[in-house]
Amino acid sequence: MKRLGAWLCCALLVVITCGCAQPKKAVNEIELWHWMTDRQDALEALARKYEQETGIRVKLSLFAPSDSYIQKIIAAAQANVLPDIYGILDKKTIFASFIKAGLVADLTSAFEADGNAWGKRFFVKAVDNNRFAVGNMDGVKPGIYGVPLDVSTVQMIYNRNLLKKAGIATVPATFEEFLAAVKALKRVGIVPFVTGFGETWIVDCFASNYAFNIMGEAKVMATFRGEVPYTDPDWMAVFTVFQTLAKKGAFIEGIVTKGNKYAEQDFALERAAFSFDGSWGVNIYKSMNPVLDYGVAPLPALKAANPMRVWGGAGSSLVVNALSPNKDKAVAFLQWITDTPQQAYLSEQTNNLPSNREASVGISPILGDFAKAMEQSTHPRVWILNEDPIVVEAFDKGIQSIIIGEKTPAQVAVEVQKIKLRQMGKVKRP
Amino acid sequence: MFFNKHKIENFFKSALIHVFLMIVVVSCLFPIFWMVRSSLMSNATIFVDPSLIPQELHWSNYVVAWTKGNFAVYFLNSMIYTISVVMGIVVVSSLAAFAFSRLKFPGRDFLFYIFVAAMMIPLPGSFVPIFVLMNKLHLVNTRLGYILCMINVGLCLSILLLKTFFDKMPSDLEDSARMDGCNRIQIWWHVALPLAAPALAVIVIYNSLNVWNEYILATLLLSDNNLMPLQRGLMVFNGAYQVDYPVLMAGLTMTAVPIIAIYFLMQKHIVKGLSSGTIGGLYDPA
Repeated sequence: MKRLGAWLCCALLVVITCGCAQPKKAVNEIELWHWMTDRQDALEALARKYEQETGIRVKLSLFAPSDSYIQKIIAAAQANVLPDIYGILDKKTIFASFIKAGLVADLTSAFEADGNAWGKRFFVKAVDNNRFAVGNMDGVKPGIYGVPLDVSTVQMIYNRNLLKKAGIATVPATFEEFLAAVKALKRVGIVPFVTGFGETWIVDCFASNYAFNIMGEAKVMATFRGEVPYTDPDWMAVFTVFQTLAKKGAFIEGIVTKGNKYAEQDFALERAAFSFDGSWGVNIYKSMNPVLDYGVAPLPALKAANPMRVWGGAGSSLVVNALSPNKDKAVAFLQWITDTPQQAYLSEQTNNLPSNREASVGISPILGDFAKAMEQSTHPRVWILNEDPIVVEAFDKGIQSIIIGEKTPAQVAVEVQKIKLRQMGKVKRP
Repeated sequence: MFFNKHKIENFFKSALIHVFLMIVVVSCLFPIFWMVRSSLMSNATIFVDPSLIPQELHWSNYVVAWTKGNFAVYFLNSMIYTISVVMGIVVVSSLAAFAFSRLKFPGRDFLFYIFVAAMMIPLPGSFVPIFVLMNKLHLVNTRLGYILCMINVGLCLSILLLKTFFDKMPSDLEDSARMDGCNRIQIWWHVALPLAAPALAVIVIYNSLNVWNEYILATLLLSDNNLMPLQRGLMVFNGAYQVDYPVLMAGLTMTAVPIIAIYFLMQKHIVKGLSSGTIGGLYDPA
């Protein structure tokens, strides 16, 4: 019994000596929560520099993986203990619900002050990602609510050495040229194309690039409004792109179960000639295969009438807690970190595209190529309308089943349209 | 002739069993070997060099993992959490299980079923309520808050295991102890707990593993880096876009060592606990 008592006392002692009180926040301190493991060191260096310059300490807390971070943010929001600066890693509807709950500060006046001095620094699309336009479908007061820390574009990348081996002199710009390249690569035993089609967002991204190219943005939006059916010949052409590529043997084996990380490994290790990836891949290729010789281009267009748009602009963004007593200090820090010298440093250290246009002048040539598409980029976050998530899920899964030969484009089109009609019956769209 | 046939049969049976066991051993040990082997490679060779023993050994991965992952602090934290939580679970669950099994009080079965039903609630489902409750108690971002939550996580299964065990304990033992002058707490301490040693060993190893490898609840409740457990160190190498596999493997190897050591230390009890049927009741009157 005495020994038990001793053990219990020891346990109590351990707990007490380890400290139970919540650490108190210093007066000149702002807190920032993020999920960006690859940017932690660079952000810490910048935070130290900021403290030296201003005397304000920025306390960085990293929570990864991103799923855990999302849980943390949601729980902290409900308990009303969000930090001064944080990021909302979720769909724009969730972003909107945070704003409507009064947890995100409206930064429009800060962006537009002094003749839009802060706003002018950024790529337009980067700001648009954080903007809620007039008449937005989420019912949020129009304004800018987030600060882009960096940006990204998702495009086709190609391995110069493998193309050379297959005798391909120029990068295919049209779908016909791409099919010819696939044939040439297969002839010499090179896998033509790899990407992470196991992740539905990549399927969606790839398909929407072709949808914009084949029918233009207006018709895509009309489809979302329910005015154009998915059985329309243009949508059939989108589905057929996947069927054609699958039939021609363009895809690496198991592409519909491949996560993007594994697809990036395959491309870095020269197991495929083409890939479809974001600008973040530059960092991965550099660490896995420093001598990889590759370039970047938009996906080969199927029709000349509409430009091939790429997804972009949606990098990492941070928001300011509207309830924070340090709101002004938080905004001042975000203005400082998005200034050109800090953005150049972040880009150099992390190989990500800076959100500040001026900082993109000195970046590496390959990142520069990714950045060129920024002004022509698009993203679901900036569209006036988004498709119902249930329809998007059916659309993406339908494409996966086309790739594995389980269904035809016509079958998938009918199925998606059926779900679309069902969802439209449930929700009135603006 | 018969003897030879019998001998041959035995030989083949034995060979078959040994081959099967060898396959099991290899399938268990190979991932550990692969982890150690990968921890000694570089990012450039890890996916292209198929050799079992790398040509060039990068021991520096361990140094990088220890320093960049801030393992010294996290190691200490994980030790504190594991020891405190496991001790808490053992004390609380054995007392609770003893009460559920040997004491008669109103609502006993109802309360027990509530404990068992708590096992059905997945941890992520309780994240928000836990966070809100801890925040109200001012225990967010404190070691005590995390320890209490982790004790709570491990209680259900431990109570179920120990109650099943205590149910099989003959009442004669309890009566004898009482005649010797023991009160209820003394019966629990002098009679019930020593008999439950194999079950307790299973509970200790199971919960040690659980706490040592836990990260999600820690991320939710803790914000201060200096309070985070070891798994937080590993996350540094497992980025959203990029994974530093060799250093991650070095970190995993270091993380696995203490838990393997605990297993070896308690191996005898665990095997005994499992082979005598912990769940069905461990007590063997003989």
